[in-house]
Amino acid sequence: MLVLILRRAGFSLFSLLVVSLILFALTRSIPDSPARIVLGDEATEEQIAQFEADHGLDRPVLVQYLAWLERLVLHGDLGRSFTTRLDMNAQVTETLPVTLELVCIGFVVALTISLVLGTLSALWRDSPVDYAARLLAVLGVSIPGFWPALVLVLALTVERDWFPPGGFVPLGEGLAEHLRSIALPCLCLSVFYMAVLTRMTRSSLLEVLGQDYMRTARAAGLSRPRVLLYGLRNALVPVVTIAGVSFGHMFGLALIIERVFNIGGMSRALLTAIQQRDYALVQAVVMMFTIIFVVANLIADLLNAWLNPRLAARAA
Amino acid sequence: MAFTDATRRGLLRAGASLPLSAALIRESRAQAGGTLTVALPTTPTSCDPVNPPDHDWMIVTQNIFENLVEYDIDGVLRPQLAKALPTVSEDGLTYAFELHEGIKFHNGQPLTSEDVKYSFEWMLDPANKAARGPTFNRLSHVEVDSPTKLRVILKEPFSPWLTMLTKFMGIWPKGSREQYGPDHFRRHPTGVGTGPGLFEEWKPNDYISFRRNPNYWQPGKPAWERLIIKQVPEDTSRVAYLLSSQADIISVPPPRDYARLKTRRGIQGNARATLGGWSFIALNNARPPFDDVNFRRAIAHAIDRKTINERIYHGMVETTAVPAPRSSWWFNPAADAVLDYNLDKARDYLKKSKYPNGASFELACASVPYLLDSRDAAIFLQSELAKIGVEVKIRLAEQSVLSPMLSRGELDALVANFMSPGDPTYMIMVYLTAGQFMSKSSSFTDARLDELMKLAFRENEQEPMKPHLHEMQMLLAEKSPFIWLGFFSAANLWRDRVKNFKVSTGQTVMVRDVSLG
Repeated sequence: MLVLILRRAGFSLFSLLVVSLILFALTRSIPDSPARIVLGDEATEEQIAQFEADHGLDRPVLVQYLAWLERLVLHGDLGRSFTTRLDMNAQVTETLPVTLELVCIGFVVALTISLVLGTLSALWRDSPVDYAARLLAVLGVSIPGFWPALVLVLALTVERDWFPPGGFVPLGEGLAEHLRSIALPCLCLSVFYMAVLTRMTRSSLLEVLGQDYMRTARAAGLSRPRVLLYGLRNALVPVVTIAGVSFGHMFGLALIIERVFNIGGMSRALLTAIQQRDYALVQAVVMMFTIIFVVANLIADLLNAWLNPRLAARAA
Repeated sequence: MAFTDATRRGLLRAGASLPLSAALIRESRAQAGGTLTVALPTTPTSCDPVNPPDHDWMIVTQNIFENLVEYDIDGVLRPQLAKALPTVSEDGLTYAFELHEGIKFHNGQPLTSEDVKYSFEWMLDPANKAARGPTFNRLSHVEVDSPTKLRVILKEPFSPWLTMLTKFMGIWPKGSREQYGPDHFRRHPTGVGTGPGLFEEWKPNDYISFRRNPNYWQPGKPAWERLIIKQVPEDTSRVAYLLSSQADIISVPPPRDYARLKTRRGIQGNARATLGGWSFIALNNARPPFDDVNFRRAIAHAIDRKTINERIYHGMVETTAVPAPRSSWWFNPAADAVLDYNLDKARDYLKKSKYPNGASFELACASVPYLLDSRDAAIFLQSELAKIGVEVKIRLAEQSVLSPMLSRGELDALVANFMSPGDPTYMIMVYLTAGQFMSKSSSFTDARLDELMKLAFRENEQEPMKPHLHEMQMLLAEKSPFIWLGFFSAANLWRDRVKNFKVSTGQTVMVRDVSLG
């Protein structure tokens, strides 16, 4: 197990390094300078040059990259935004918990409902429960992420006034208001992944339930719940892998959800940074998302090794 | 309730309160009558008036900072910190002002002529990197005659500088730039303005808020206690904010929904043509096929402006073929009539041009719209010009990519909607005369136009300036260096409880006079 952990952790670090390099190269290959955004169209060439010199943008890309990496690794310093001059560490500290909360709650909702639905669907195959679960799953994967968000805003905020149309109310301002502000965004975030994971749970469980060893377990007189428990443990391996990837992907969908629900999280900050050519902020946010993605996948790998010890043994 | 206190009982209690909370929210809204909330689509980048963000977010700078004169909601020049409009010397080089007495900055310090001198000279100093500094580079210096009297000295006559102050300048206390540093003006400009709003907080990606300035020099204003400028980029969400009373005023309503929304119960709306909102096609006169005046005229006659503005822009653009809004005092109907929609004329001009069999060119267009979406207009233009044998290839890119390309003269043509301070000469000067930051976009020069521009700069009154502006429009219609489609409108929707609100011809929402019912 230790060998697996070390190997995966090493690979994760390597992935982060490669992503950071690609990210740096991509952001610097965008035409024109962020100085145009900051100084406006009327800025003279001298003003642009001065801005670039002040912010180190006139240096070779590799030199800029190494300086950025040194600040990040040795001092944990993400730098300052070009456009707002805000400290990026402070901005990440402020916005990351918002996005993380939305994604984590959305993920837990998606995972819980999909495990229940997928299991029921597999156990009562071709029953009304199965048909309903499959229909929901097909709808969930077919509907674009922003559509339920727009419909819910219209139906439950404009017409009914049950929820606010947008914005994030911090927990400190009251639990009820906090829950009202995140309920719809979390629900919208979870719909697609709920559908994907339901389908995966159902098909995986059906496959496992048809295996010889399951028939043997039943023939040996094990109780139905016990058999189901064994079945689920084996069926969960691909579900955990997909769930790990889904968790990372949810940060992508959060870009749309935070925009529609007007939530000032990190995804929204990334969108704004892209529009404003704020390389520094784009790098900081994408690196944070990459770290989360890599860690989520690392956890999924380790969980799979625990569920299926043969994986750990193979790695060793 | 702290997160750690979230027991099962607490959660159940909170859950039970959910159905009640909507009613509680409505109640709290009714009680919070003093808070005015404005929702805007774009993102603020600075609170500093010399490095202003887009025209929407100038609401921030205009609530904090004020100027000697202001270009008001209707585009009329009025005194602001000055008692009256300035007295101008015969040679048009000296502008004498007298300040109101008793005006104080937000930090309690009285406003004097020394502050005005300091503010202008700080802005004009290239070392301070004021983005709008070059706009005022015809200003030389300021001379102080007394604590309330001063003169602004120009290097050459340039009357439009007064109209540009509202958007690109402000007055701050002497020494404040050195005392507080650039981040203070950019991020949290407390104590440095004289305006109706006291800066309170900037929450990135969310809002900027103000408190009422209790010592504001205009008695009884502002009528609101708190002002929140919210950033709501998504059109649907912005409308939802308005309909659910989370916002009182919204800017840039979706054009397709605007007419329907403004008749909804509890909602009001209006749209007014801006004085500086060009809806136009920039043509690079140095690049074929626009290097031929007859070809440009052919294009100008082949475009059905009325259909574009009514059907594509949903009436949000006021049609004119010349660089003057139809509703402005400087509009020349005779010049406008020169460029009527007439395909026969277009074909005649095409035959007379260097390209009698037609030509092709690339028409650039912003992929992410800011003020109005031009993409449908670009497609319509493509089909319109095909009727006279001109092939248009559409190129989409972000405005932040296109703008520098335009300024470097790297585009054949660009269909766009650009906003300016609203002065009759500013955009013409910037795009169609030499030595300006956008000169290469057109590569157009004309000695008579330069001469007319100088004559207009010498005048400070409308009547003597009008003949020069009329002649300018006639010249531009005949030479068609650009194609004008019209002037786009500023549009707002607001809730019934908002009183004394008027849509600004300068695009920026102005809330100083607004009260809440």
